[in-house]
Amino acid sequence: MALSVSKVARNVPPAETRAGRGPKRRWWPDRVTQLLFVLPAVVYLCLFFGYPLVKNVIMSFQNYTTSTFFTGYAPWVGFANYVSVFKNSLFQTTVINTVLFTVGSIAGQFVIGMALALFFKRRFPLNGILRSLLLLPWLLPLIASSSIWKWMLDQDSGVLNQTLLFFHVIASPVPWLSSPNVALASVIMVNIWLGIPFNATLLYSGLQGVPEELYEAASLDGATGWKAFRYITWPTLRPVVSVVLVLGVVYTLKVLDIILGLTGGGPANATQTLATNSYQQSFVQFSFGTGAAISNILVATSLAFALVYLRLNRRAIDE
Amino acid sequence: MKAVKSARSRQLPYTVLAVVFLAIMLFPVYWMVNTSLQPGPSAVNATFIPLHPSFAAYSQAISDQLGNMKTSLLVALGTVIVTLVIATPAAYGLAKFKLPFTGAVMLALLISQMIPGIVIANSLYTVYVKLGLLNSIPGLVLADSSSAIPFAILILRAFMQSIPPSLVEAARVDGAGHWRAFWSIVVPVSRNSIITAALFSFLFAWSDFVFALTMTTSNTFRPLSLGIYNYLGSNVQSWAPVMATATLAALPAIILLVFAQRYISAGALSGAVK
Amino acid sequence: MKTNRLVAAVAIAAAFPLALTACGSSAPAGGSSAGAAGKGLSLTIEDYYQPPQAATYDKIYKACATALGDTITSTHVPGASLITKVLQQETSKTLPDVLMLDNPDVQQIASSGALTPLSDYGITGQGVEQEVLAAGSLNGKLYGLAPGVNSLGLFYNKDKLAAAGLTPPTTWAELASDAKKLTGNGTYGFAFAGTNTYEGTWQFMPWMWSNGGTETQLNSPQNAQALDFLASMVKDGSVSASVVGWGQGDALNQFTAGKAAMMENGPWQIPSLKAVKGLNFGYVPLPASAAGGKSVAPLGGETFTVPSTGNTAKEAAAGKIVACINSPANEMTIAAENNYIPSNPTIAATFGKSDPDLAPFVSIVADARSRTGLLGTKWPTVGTEIYQAEQLALTGKATGAAALAQVVANNS
Repeated sequence: MALSVSKVARNVPPAETRAGRGPKRRWWPDRVTQLLFVLPAVVYLCLFFGYPLVKNVIMSFQNYTTSTFFTGYAPWVGFANYVSVFKNSLFQTTVINTVLFTVGSIAGQFVIGMALALFFKRRFPLNGILRSLLLLPWLLPLIASSSIWKWMLDQDSGVLNQTLLFFHVIASPVPWLSSPNVALASVIMVNIWLGIPFNATLLYSGLQGVPEELYEAASLDGATGWKAFRYITWPTLRPVVSVVLVLGVVYTLKVLDIILGLTGGGPANATQTLATNSYQQSFVQFSFGTGAAISNILVATSLAFALVYLRLNRRAIDE
Repeated sequence: MKAVKSARSRQLPYTVLAVVFLAIMLFPVYWMVNTSLQPGPSAVNATFIPLHPSFAAYSQAISDQLGNMKTSLLVALGTVIVTLVIATPAAYGLAKFKLPFTGAVMLALLISQMIPGIVIANSLYTVYVKLGLLNSIPGLVLADSSSAIPFAILILRAFMQSIPPSLVEAARVDGAGHWRAFWSIVVPVSRNSIITAALFSFLFAWSDFVFALTMTTSNTFRPLSLGIYNYLGSNVQSWAPVMATATLAALPAIILLVFAQRYISAGALSGAVK
Repeated sequence: MKTNRLVAAVAIAAAFPLALTACGSSAPAGGSSAGAAGKGLSLTIEDYYQPPQAATYDKIYKACATALGDTITSTHVPGASLITKVLQQETSKTLPDVLMLDNPDVQQIASSGALTPLSDYGITGQGVEQEVLAAGSLNGKLYGLAPGVNSLGLFYNKDKLAAAGLTPPTTWAELASDAKKLTGNGTYGFAFAGTNTYEGTWQFMPWMWSNGGTETQLNSPQNAQALDFLASMVKDGSVSASVVGWGQGDALNQFTAGKAAMMENGPWQIPSLKAVKGLNFGYVPLPASAAGGKSVAPLGGETFTVPSTGNTAKEAAAGKIVACINSPANEMTIAAENNYIPSNPTIAATFGKSDPDLAPFVSIVADARSRTGLLGTKWPTVGTEIYQAEQLALTGKATGAAALAQVVANNS
């Protein structure tokens, strides 16, 4: 398939029309122009993230308390914070909860998001407005949505149980947020609800990047449905899918407010994740060194996923 | 005529399906509006349908929060502009120029997304105090952009990787510089992803709480995400105004989103590739 | 190769803001007017009161400042975020001139050196309830003084109790049996806040103390019995299992909706309760563990402190403001408008006579105990242990004794 760029290149004036000067020559190397594209972003990154990251790492090796905020004095304790975190019996629970929470959320969000993106690709009346409304869960202030879900999921007076009982789907009220066995599933469910707009919108945009003509040409060759998806949609969509997944993991590992709003990490630590525990250690127990240690463990975990993503991405570019 | 009509009627089942799905998924939003219409302090025990709707919460929310909404809008729009200006060229550079440190920058971008917001806010606070950026719209714009820019770069880059290199090469062969090629070719072709990135930057800034809390110290300059806490005292909480504010906060955002979504359509690349 | 570049980039990035902070850390931040004390100073005060409560305090702040010839601006921060803000301000040395702190936080913040002793300004706390002073003191020095305090009581639905032929319970046994009788038809007998935060701890402490338990020795049979008592009510169905996630606001909602016949809550809810049409409610002290026993409730309320800002003129003025906020007239105003009890027992007695609604709480407060009086800076650790143990007991995952043993072992 020969590619012609005539349509797009039309608005680029050919060099010759420029005041007869011929092709522009710069006195600085081409490389510098390229660097300038990226430089503002890199500077921003360093200014805003460099210091906090370094400080967070250093804090995890110190005995950092409320006094430190005022005096600036924090004795160095080496790996003591990390040791106490690993030795704490809560650590194992939080790791398991974090893994379950992340896997459950990503799986649910991605599958439903992808299904919605594919669905909305069709043309039908009100498509645009409905797609915008889909973003509402992401739009609402978390304090409002977590409180609403908390009331809806209340065992006795919550509207969900009342509806399910009314339709005889369940025989007795489900202890969504009050039982340690069910609470994590409930929190995952709410997080999926929150994450669907993000996934659906990005995947939809990605799907729109595949030119229509390719589908037409392929269908002429008899490739439709699954074959079309595999050979046309997927190659274009792959970078978007992988960035959605890796960002999904990074953001889900960080999720804090929705869990705190729904259960506060309970009941009995059933929904306590590494992120919520880090928050508790720092801002409830004022043991900032321990809190920083836990959040660094989280960063290290995210980092592992990021490295996998970059490796796959690099391979894709080289293809 | 007949063809259009039958095409429409064939499409209608999809609309119905979409509406049903959205009705289920947006039920909590309905519940939120329902709570906001409840009279009296026991807003939490809302009946299924508001039988005696009261708009007292809305009049309170409007009189209290209109200024805050303006602040939030300005901050969010500013964030979109700053983010797009910085992120779009960077994304393109990281996607297409084979720069030697691309991997390192990508890693740094991803790491920046892993740091909890409160850690960044705490570090920024001291600097902001010295620079006098507290309680200012530029200050909040810069802070919110810090969380939007890495995300925008990652997303835009993913989309830009799919742009066929021949598109840009053709222009470069004609003598266009990097900037020219970027502005005249890459940007129009990336319209979908730029709008998507703008959309999410807007939403990040609109619903941000941590930076709003940290970078403001006055009662008059307050984004909506902070102003909503006016009704949540440490002892007594009135939820109807909270939900009314949340509903009101959603309205301008939804309008902007519907407007923006119009532009995310197939065809940005089509016609360019034949 | 890549890693080296990244490390270099990060190191440079770290150096930049570090340089900034190094430059300015020596100079004290905040206003720099060097006028003599009380002559046109511009002061700042920070609290977590929201409208309509905030209006009362703003009025008082302004009056106190004007009396000194100064001006004052108040900042109201969302409740849960006050400590975060205070810590940020500590780092950047931009603490307000007067800082309101919830009483359990005083010792933590004071131990960091951020607060100045109130005795520097001639405030001795004379005439104030002993436990109130204990809450605001560290190592024998008074750092925070609360003009108004509150506590917990047992609220009951008069109609429901009358219909069942019951009078408000005075012992645990009566509470358990009354709650059982009142449960049914979509109503639970009793509701309280058992959530996974300090709010849960706050609501558990009266049960602990009334049974003779103490917070300095968590792993005791008395504390275990208190846990088992509450857990037994959940198990036999007179208390909803959802209490593990309820705050005091949630308990209130259950009560006002008629879904709970009794609840454990405080006097600040009285205005909301009065606004509910058709709700006949009353309140008594929480029941004692056995007949003839004493019921001890925790002490709530916010203190006012003077942070160390380095500006002696402003600190002196701030001291006078704190004294003014704690004056008898202002204590009465705060109590009357916001349903607190004055922290000075003499004024409280007068207040009780003038406001019969709140009179029962005057005696409850007189017997109340501060949460941090004995614990001091250990409050965060022990407070967390208490609610963790409560969660284990209420969800039925462990008996009271096992739960306490577990949390103490975990945190040692």
